[in-house]
Amino acid sequence: MDILLSSIVAGLLFGMVLAMVALGLTIIFGVMDIVNFAHGEFLMIGMYTGLLTAQATGLEPLLTIPVAAAVGFLLGVLCYFGFIKFLLRGPMIAQLLGTFGLMLFLRNLALLVFGSEDRALHHGVLVGKSFDVGMGIILPATKLAAAGLSVVAFWGIWILMNRTKIGNALRATALNAQGARYMGIPTERMNALAWGIGGGTVTISGALIVNFWSVNPFMGLLFTMIAFAIVALGGFGSVPGAFFAGLVVGMITEIPGFWDFITYTFNLDWMANVPMTSFKYMWVYLAYFLIMVIRPRGLFGWKQ
Amino acid sequence: MKPVFKFIGVLLIIGLIVPGSALAVKEIKIGAIYPLTGGAAAAGRELRAGAELAAEIANNVMADINMSMAKNGGIKSMGGAKITIIFKDHEGNPTLGADLAKKLILDDKVDGLLGCYHSSVTKTVSAVAEQHGIPMINGTSTSPALTKRGFKWFWRTTPHDVWFTKDLFEFLVGLSGGKVKGVDSFPKKELLNIASACENSEWGSFVSALIKDFAGEYKFNLNKSLLYSAKAPDLSSEVRSLKAAKPDVMMFASYTSDAILMVKTLKAQKVQPKIIWGQDAGFEKPEFRSTLGDSIVGILTRTVFLPKVVEIKPVAGQVNKLYKAKTGNDLGGASARAFTGLQTWVHVLEKAGSTKPADIQGAANAIQIPGKELVVPWAGIKFSTSGGEIGQNTLGSGLIGQYQKGPDGKLVLEIVYPFDVASADMIYPFPQF
Repeated sequence: MDILLSSIVAGLLFGMVLAMVALGLTIIFGVMDIVNFAHGEFLMIGMYTGLLTAQATGLEPLLTIPVAAAVGFLLGVLCYFGFIKFLLRGPMIAQLLGTFGLMLFLRNLALLVFGSEDRALHHGVLVGKSFDVGMGIILPATKLAAAGLSVVAFWGIWILMNRTKIGNALRATALNAQGARYMGIPTERMNALAWGIGGGTVTISGALIVNFWSVNPFMGLLFTMIAFAIVALGGFGSVPGAFFAGLVVGMITEIPGFWDFITYTFNLDWMANVPMTSFKYMWVYLAYFLIMVIRPRGLFGWKQ
Repeated sequence: MKPVFKFIGVLLIIGLIVPGSALAVKEIKIGAIYPLTGGAAAAGRELRAGAELAAEIANNVMADINMSMAKNGGIKSMGGAKITIIFKDHEGNPTLGADLAKKLILDDKVDGLLGCYHSSVTKTVSAVAEQHGIPMINGTSTSPALTKRGFKWFWRTTPHDVWFTKDLFEFLVGLSGGKVKGVDSFPKKELLNIASACENSEWGSFVSALIKDFAGEYKFNLNKSLLYSAKAPDLSSEVRSLKAAKPDVMMFASYTSDAILMVKTLKAQKVQPKIIWGQDAGFEKPEFRSTLGDSIVGILTRTVFLPKVVEIKPVAGQVNKLYKAKTGNDLGGASARAFTGLQTWVHVLEKAGSTKPADIQGAANAIQIPGKELVVPWAGIKFSTSGGEIGQNTLGSGLIGQYQKGPDGKLVLEIVYPFDVASADMIYPFPQF
């Protein structure tokens, strides 16, 4: 039983972090219909920002989040005005290949600047600490904090999108850019804002994740894929959808844990020998595939 | 015939015979091919210094060294012939290594070869030696495949990964049997359940398979055996899966960053095995120690040579003193094994009494060097001549070290296996994280 509970808890915690990772992707898509292939690279930059700021200043890693958010926001806005704006004039395929190129560029830039070796945080109030809450559930402090802060940030973005004037303007741009322009909404700036928010949220999650994951220049792709799966599952452009889909994908990554639970509850020896942990992400991609086949607009999708 | 001619004739005959026996060989040439430049240059310098020191001891009489080769001043059975080592640099390149081996054999006319550290280079060089029928002794390459080729001119003194993994199981059996210093015997069932996690490239998968084989052979339960990518940024689901198997013993084959991540995650998940053992590599790197600090106290790692050996084996201490005077460093895994490689050459030549390849081959196959002659903590050197592994030393063993806190508060690796060279009481069971 303790295996099952600890897997569920781990899945939910990780799911909240993953939801935060996917948030930026869904906002950018919702507002502009652009799929950002470089999303994972933004996350990687967020991780490096958190790591290097903490190491250089000796700050508690969690306090580097504002720095990461600022870097991400600026990066997003810069990408929009320097690059995406021009892509919008081209056909859909140009936008796809364009962000793909951005991904390659950022990855290799990181390789040039940071080198290829893995780096990890080894200090910080939370690093290496964990709480034993009984029933076999161990809560690593870093993951708990990351999950909690993700939820807070998510809620903040939801308020921004739904309860503020700027949010209304963003959603108006998303629904009908031309109509919004007629109403006097500066859609250009709204697009840039969407990229800024998209970049800022994903670098925040990067600064959170670096508390418990090591970082190297190649790790973006894994998160891009996971974020795609979450956005597809939750529905392209849907903020609440991203949250619930994040939790679902978090649970999917825990399939090896559920497998172990069944193995040891029923003492099935053959199951113990299946290397489930080796393909924990396979299930995520499988879910992505199935959603695409069965319900392409996702569970909460409102855009066709 | 006049007596004077008879006399001259006798003189001539004596003249022909004498150089062949009494004046015999004055110099024995051994070609040593090591990585003296390139990525492994630091190891190459150690290897060279180790082999050179062994030759110095063999060529001179050194009364304060308790080794038989230190007493003879050359190869006694060849009238005190001296050993000359011709060093060549293979730069870690197997093709270059093979070319150098050809040059050494054809141009320098060496009597035998020594080397080459990288298993890949040893592979090509030994193939050249085999082709030319020139004996080669290898002291430092650990790929098990090298002695599985049935070569007739290749002998290896160092143990390899199969032996190292076997050592671990010998150690576990001895541990419950009360053979480990500082631990009383206890029922074997307390250590019965094993879980292993190895990185998924060639080396780790190989170790994983070995653990599976030996667990069966030694009658342990391998409850979980998983492979993971050394590049994985997170190992928490792996660790939870290992934890679910409720192991008494956890075994790892990891490189550096994943070894650190693994131990960090074990700690975060409060996993409580009785033994944590790593197959060298990441578990012995300085970063492992410096990053994880005191939380690694109690962790075991396989290794080939530790500075502690010098404190326990008098002969290693004597050689270490000379080595330190020569290089400024203590003997390490590479230098100690290169030393032993050349020392084996000396013993083989002594037994062969000639530099004819066939004599050397016979001597190598029959040689038996007792452990007390060696700087490395082995039972001795005796090569297998039949079965699946031709030319492998059957008396070698690895060391198992345990991280402990020294009196000065620094982390040190204390020897816990082989049992007779243990340098400290073992910490058992593994203390809680």
